[in-house]
Amino acid sequence: MPSRRRTLLKVIILGDSGVGKTSLMNQYVNKKFSNQYKATIGADFLTKEVEFEDRLFTLQIWDTAGQERFQSLGVAFYRGADCCVLVYDVNVQKSFDNLNNWREEFLIQASPSDPENFPFIVLGNKVDVDGGNSRVVSEKKARAWCASKGNIPYFETSAKEGINVEEAFQVIAKNALNSGEEEEIYLPDTIDVGSTSQQRASGCDC
Amino acid sequence: MASDVTSGSPSYDEEAESTVQIPNITVNTNSIDHSLDAIENQLHSISLNTSIDERTSPSADYHLESASEINNGSLKENVIETRRNLIGESSSSRRSGLWATNLEAEVEVELEAEGDGALSSPSSSGYAGERGSSGSVSSASGTDGIRELRDNGSSMGDDGVLSLDSSEAQWIRGKRHADEDDASISWRKRKKHYIILSHSGKPIYSRYGDEHKLAGFSATLQAIISFVENGGDRVKLVRAGKHQVVFLVKGPIYLVCISCTEEPYESLRGQLEFLYGQMILILTRSVDRCFEKNPKFDMTPLLGGTDAVFSSLIHSFSRNPATFLHAYTCLPLAYATRQAAGAILQDVADSGVVFAILMCKDKVVSLVGLQKASLHPDDMLLLANFVMSSESFRTSESFSPICLPRYNPMAFLYAYVHYLDVDTYLILLTAGSQAFFHLKECRHVIRVETVLSKSNVLNEVQRSMSEGGLRIDQLPVDPSARSGSLFPLNQRRPAPETVVGIGGPAGLLHFIYRSIYLDQYVSSEFASPISAPAQQKRLYRAYQRLYASMHDKGVGPHKTQFRRDESYVLLCWVTQDFELYAAFDPLADKAVAIRICNRVCQWVKDVENEIFLLGASPFSW
Repeated sequence: MPSRRRTLLKVIILGDSGVGKTSLMNQYVNKKFSNQYKATIGADFLTKEVEFEDRLFTLQIWDTAGQERFQSLGVAFYRGADCCVLVYDVNVQKSFDNLNNWREEFLIQASPSDPENFPFIVLGNKVDVDGGNSRVVSEKKARAWCASKGNIPYFETSAKEGINVEEAFQVIAKNALNSGEEEEIYLPDTIDVGSTSQQRASGCDC
Repeated sequence: MASDVTSGSPSYDEEAESTVQIPNITVNTNSIDHSLDAIENQLHSISLNTSIDERTSPSADYHLESASEINNGSLKENVIETRRNLIGESSSSRRSGLWATNLEAEVEVELEAEGDGALSSPSSSGYAGERGSSGSVSSASGTDGIRELRDNGSSMGDDGVLSLDSSEAQWIRGKRHADEDDASISWRKRKKHYIILSHSGKPIYSRYGDEHKLAGFSATLQAIISFVENGGDRVKLVRAGKHQVVFLVKGPIYLVCISCTEEPYESLRGQLEFLYGQMILILTRSVDRCFEKNPKFDMTPLLGGTDAVFSSLIHSFSRNPATFLHAYTCLPLAYATRQAAGAILQDVADSGVVFAILMCKDKVVSLVGLQKASLHPDDMLLLANFVMSSESFRTSESFSPICLPRYNPMAFLYAYVHYLDVDTYLILLTAGSQAFFHLKECRHVIRVETVLSKSNVLNEVQRSMSEGGLRIDQLPVDPSARSGSLFPLNQRRPAPETVVGIGGPAGLLHFIYRSIYLDQYVSSEFASPISAPAQQKRLYRAYQRLYASMHDKGVGPHKTQFRRDESYVLLCWVTQDFELYAAFDPLADKAVAIRICNRVCQWVKDVENEIFLLGASPFSW
């Protein structure tokens, strides 16, 4: 089959509860938004196919629950992630302060091979609320934090209005892809019949 | 092939069709049963000698199930509503929610119908005419019944075990229903799913549907497995209604089977082990290291082009008893013929080959191995499946790295594969990747071919293939009249096409004899009334259940079991030397059945020279 090689990217979305992780995902994948808050329980999974630089990708988006009681899910969720999206609510200071915890927690649990350069992306969500009047975290402050953590790309988004959502996920795909470039080399052995195979052979349950 | 492409929705249509035919569905289930019977009867009249009551068959269940679902509008809506809550919101967004409800409800995926027709895709256009005339024929068995009629001339005489007649072989080659995903109704209705994923939740293989579109679903599976693992536990089985979800964790590789076939857990788990073994055969366990270094590792590219290998293995799970007996079977041959074949192979083996195997389809003609090296029957099954399902081996001499998981899962051997005729192939396993040209050039291989044909071995193989093996109607009645050979001199046995099966004595329908020392089994040829593939599949499932119950570690080991249901009397007898599985007519008398089993065992012993590979057992070195 001459189909193009497709790449699957695992994207984890993290952030305090209520910052709009699920809404961002819904806006991105379904172009839908609901004002009703429905807490995510455990995790939610969505897939979306994107084309980027003439290559086909499937984003496997892991929308996690923000509540602390679900944090025990840890390792399992974060293992093998290609990109981590940190979300906060520009109208809630605490959600911004917690970004650091989320990032650290992720790096501990996922223990990526090159933590310094692991592709994160930060989204300041809900910029539409109250015409921006209730905003407490300034863009400048957010960008400064991102810069201090190794120049994490930053986007101000509104899941409700669909602002910057598409753009943000484009970058997510791009960064995840770049970090995934170093392919593992798969080098199997060949049986050495002369010396060791006899022990090995008798080692099997026959 | 073409028919598969459109099968998603047609299978749905078919259900709708069946509801039109069956009145009062929601009122009285008995009436459904009766109308089903009527349909079955109609079918039987079409399909020659079919006499087995199918009321309890899975396909009948499926009938009922789907019919009521469609007919009762509100019920259907509920079902779909629930699905939405659980799994997805729209077809464009494949979402899988986890812990939105309890685990059990979560995995309550709807998969009633297999469309299995592993053999007959529901939309197979060829059957449309017949279906129309016989009313609501939509069950798998129904189409098989018709199929039997169609194939009568060509494949009736086949052993039916792994016989890939052309129409079967066709679908095996490619992936089926690649356009589906977990949001498709057709996908949810499949009876048996096999899914392989990595420990990071990335899909590796799915029997049905597109792996990438199933990314959300495989993430859900990983989350379930990991969640339980986090608690220091391990999830083995989830029951959800009539579905079983069986999990198998092999390091960084997770395997999952979702089934509503009522097969025992042990069997399904064994099938997942085979699936994993097949993957190891292709890649070795070196992939583990890739995952260790990089959990993101995507191994799907490494498995590129192997869909057919997996689908044919899965196909054999319900058609090849080797998959649950863990034994191999030989092509029946006169003793001298097999000896000759063995001697020729031994010649090659002396020149640095680890194993030399001559096979005809899934049956062994002869095999020899390097001293001390042993070949496990499971490895043989996986190897034969790999060779038979890879089209490219047929076209030319090939050399391919393969790993025998039971021999050494960490490293490759190299297989020289050469088809000598359409069914018969030679496999030489060597340790060196440079050996191909050596083998190809060296006179050994050339000699093998010439000697095999000169010594008439190949002719004998073909003859045996067409004549078949043990037939129950030939079970010697009078012990004194035993000939002691399946191959009496100068006497060709009548070709099976000319024999109208009447079943064996005392209602014996079929048997399998497994020799424990030899790790080999022999199974009688199928004859009417068990001649349709669907019936054979059902009998194998029954044997499989029997095997599982006899080998149940909790209560076993048992010595004998006698079981009677609507379809058969099943008798199992396990001794230190052998295991015998026999199926009789449901009305068979117990004492008589036992006597017949004794005679079967005697018969097998009388002809063991010809049906088993003796002396050269891979375990006897």
